[in-house]
Amino acid sequence: MALPADGIRGVLTQAEAGNEQAVTAAGTVYQPVDLAQRLSVAADLSGLEMRTVLYSNGRTHGAIRVEQLVGLVDVERKDCLPLPPQFQRDERDWFGGMMLYHDQLVLILNPSWALGELAGVVPVSVGQAEQMGAATPAAIGGSC
Amino acid sequence: MLRTAPGQQYAQATKRSWNVVVFSVGGMKLAARTEDVGGVSPWTESIPVPSRTPFVQAMLKQDNHVMPVYDLAARLSRTVQGDPLLCLLARHLDGPMAICIDADVPSLETVDATAIRPNGREDVETLGSVTIGEIDVAIVALQRLGRSRQDAVRSSKY
Repeated sequence: MALPADGIRGVLTQAEAGNEQAVTAAGTVYQPVDLAQRLSVAADLSGLEMRTVLYSNGRTHGAIRVEQLVGLVDVERKDCLPLPPQFQRDERDWFGGMMLYHDQLVLILNPSWALGELAGVVPVSVGQAEQMGAATPAAIGGSC
Repeated sequence: MLRTAPGQQYAQATKRSWNVVVFSVGGMKLAARTEDVGGVSPWTESIPVPSRTPFVQAMLKQDNHVMPVYDLAARLSRTVQGDPLLCLLARHLDGPMAICIDADVPSLETVDATAIRPNGREDVETLGSVTIGEIDVAIVALQRLGRSRQDAVRSSKY
């Protein structure tokens, strides 16, 4: 999966994040986001590669634990694809689109949904930039 | 020389006979109109996608194209059989969609349109049923698979 990178405020190791659920950094409290539980997928967050991504959209701040952070990827707008219309339910709020990265399918998370905002569930807008972040998030430095 | 308009010609042809692809899912024989089938290829591993849409919970990558997978076997409470499994490419109204089918290589059949009868199946969208080789075979409406079930007879007329 991927997250638009413009919302990433920091990436912490297990040691840096500590054992508390919420993370405080630079005076901002990042509430825990259990992405795996919200997506009903299994995640192994005990590995050494586990990272906590501090993410914010300016209104809401979340600490998203991921199995691994793949990296920052520049994404061309043309390479950001919409979720096929056959996906008809909640997942349309979950994902702003998808892309291929190193021959693998990457789902692009909708930051508003990921942060648990009930309102303002909007597709990730194209044109903010051309980069991304992935639970195993890669970060996209921009949005689709 | 008079020439039949393409639409009329098609309409007349569809009234006389239908060309269908006969395939099987979990041992159950099914058919689909050939024009609703984009092709058949070996099945490759699908990619799970978190989803709450019934039977649409994965995608398949073929070359540089990614398409949703419709789990027809699950919908029919069956398990696909054989090895290697095959992929039936459905020309769905919302775009191409992959369906995993049994390893039995599909066959082409021509059926008389008058032999197609409505059926009362509620487990899958169909255009009706036809008897092929003494087996009652449902003609799956691939174009609207997963959509709200509509009257099978009405839809078979387009």
